[in-house]
Amino acid sequence: MSSNLPVLLFLVPFVMGVSMPLLTAKRRSWCANLTLGAFGVMLLLSIANLRVVLAEGPVEYAFGGWTAPIGIAWLNDSIAAMVVLVMSFVAVITQVYGRVDTAKDLEKSIPYYTLILIMVSGLVGIIFAADLFNVFVFLEVVALTGYALVGAAGGKSLVYAFRYLLLGSFGASLYLLGLGHLYVATGTLNMADLAVRLPELMTSTAVAGGLIYIFLGLSIKMALIPLHSWLPDAYANAPSSVTPLLASTVTKVSLVAWIRIEYSLIAQGVEVSHVPVLVLLEELGVIAALVGGALALIQTNLKRMFAYGGISHIGLILIGVSLGNTTGFAGGMFYLINDAVMQASLFMIAGALIYYHGVHTLEDLRGVGRQSPWLTSALVVAAVAMVGLPPTGGFFGKWNIILGALEAQHYLAAFAVLASTLLTLAYFLKIFSCWFHQPQPATSEPLVVSNALRISLGAISFSMIALGLMSDTIFQFLIESITNGGV
Amino acid sequence: MFELLETLIQRPNFVVFVILFLWGIYIMSAHPNLVKKLIGLYIVQTSVIFFLVAFSAKDGATVPIILAESGLVDPMLYANPLPHALTVTAIVVQIATLGVSLALVSAIYRKFGSLDEDEILEQLK
Repeated sequence: MSSNLPVLLFLVPFVMGVSMPLLTAKRRSWCANLTLGAFGVMLLLSIANLRVVLAEGPVEYAFGGWTAPIGIAWLNDSIAAMVVLVMSFVAVITQVYGRVDTAKDLEKSIPYYTLILIMVSGLVGIIFAADLFNVFVFLEVVALTGYALVGAAGGKSLVYAFRYLLLGSFGASLYLLGLGHLYVATGTLNMADLAVRLPELMTSTAVAGGLIYIFLGLSIKMALIPLHSWLPDAYANAPSSVTPLLASTVTKVSLVAWIRIEYSLIAQGVEVSHVPVLVLLEELGVIAALVGGALALIQTNLKRMFAYGGISHIGLILIGVSLGNTTGFAGGMFYLINDAVMQASLFMIAGALIYYHGVHTLEDLRGVGRQSPWLTSALVVAAVAMVGLPPTGGFFGKWNIILGALEAQHYLAAFAVLASTLLTLAYFLKIFSCWFHQPQPATSEPLVVSNALRISLGAISFSMIALGLMSDTIFQFLIESITNGGV
Repeated sequence: MFELLETLIQRPNFVVFVILFLWGIYIMSAHPNLVKKLIGLYIVQTSVIFFLVAFSAKDGATVPIILAESGLVDPMLYANPLPHALTVTAIVVQIATLGVSLALVSAIYRKFGSLDEDEILEQLK
């Protein structure tokens, strides 16, 4: 039983998604409950899975008993288990939040819930897959459901969903092309196998080209600047009920896929004309962190501002994992987990603001603070985490990335983390200066928000602080799993 | 220069792949019509599939099935089945993408009454 947990984690949302039309044909009101139930089961299974992995170490799951070079393998290690746990938690919370905010025409729509469930099962697949082609298939499952979910809001969002589709499918083609190159050069697609065969082939242009194509393809998926242009418009116009889930998981999980490839395939010392590849990746991260933060600062639409904040955090995580030392890597991974929670929280707040106050832009925000104590406290916690102050998890992530940068003597990277922190602080100051602006006299009545919103905002804010308080333990697991060689 | 030409002529498959790939990107980015953009995307995806098929092609090879009478298999005689398996899966993914994109395009047409990107962006303002 316990060895089958990764597959069960995949099957629960998948089977529920596929059987949704059968189960709810007569009772449309069950859709939301069944989805929430499936995610709840996933959450329990992922806790069990994390316990098993921490007790017994990384496990390779061989489908049908065919082991790695011939069959398809999934790797269930502590990083995968942690990311899946955080993802199921976010899925549960966003589903609770969906009770408040789901638009009338989506509330009882079977395809909408089927898409969410299948997207989550695809995300589980990407996280566990230890085979390049498997990652491609699951990336496409997530991407296709993502296009449909972004377009589900109708109107404007259709155009942005189409743009997302063009770029995303082009990225997938690049990924497939790179995978083909690697297969030609090595004759295998299994990551562990590739890690053995690639180092001696690193001078081959086919391998270099393949890795570059894979990186380009995945950077479109993870919205790494300058390939981010699909993200802000898509997320700003997608249905509010599903944006938190999209924003907190899709880009982050694509980044997890890249981190696995980067760590197993690009050995520490790989150089292109005397410049180490990891340093190049780190510079890309620096650019993304700074440009993303600056672009967030000049936005007036709240959702777009948060979307650019997420883009700059992708850069921060990429800096952390590309420093080439354990401290930076653990910091980057920890920040990735935190970022998933923070993005979910921010987009839930933005959605609730639209739902209760009709607020889309900074201008509309004036005086909201007096009316909504729940939203205010959730936003304060989220802002503290985004800026990176203790005791939230954001602080410990950034702190370790900076320590890693100093250890590697990459002062530019350390500077970029600090500068992007300042930019984050700047745009949150912008938000708060409008938020606590003197209200119009007539509207000082505190607003009653629904219990579902209170539960979801409370749980997500609590988890941000809990991640900070447990950071020591989590770092220990992360560092253990890195030094044991498995990522 | 001459050597480059020689290598290119010896590898017509890959030259065709490069031409298709770049042509697809050009159509995707140059044409304002959404359906034509899709056709460009389709050509890009097909070119990648062509690349997968091209590198796995082998002269005079047969299917990799063990025959009852001959026993052990000589790998030289068989085509590698894995790229073909990849190709089939990639085609399925491509068809699914095409389905979703056509659904989006038809929804856009119903909503905006146009397939021209410039006209749609004009309406969005």
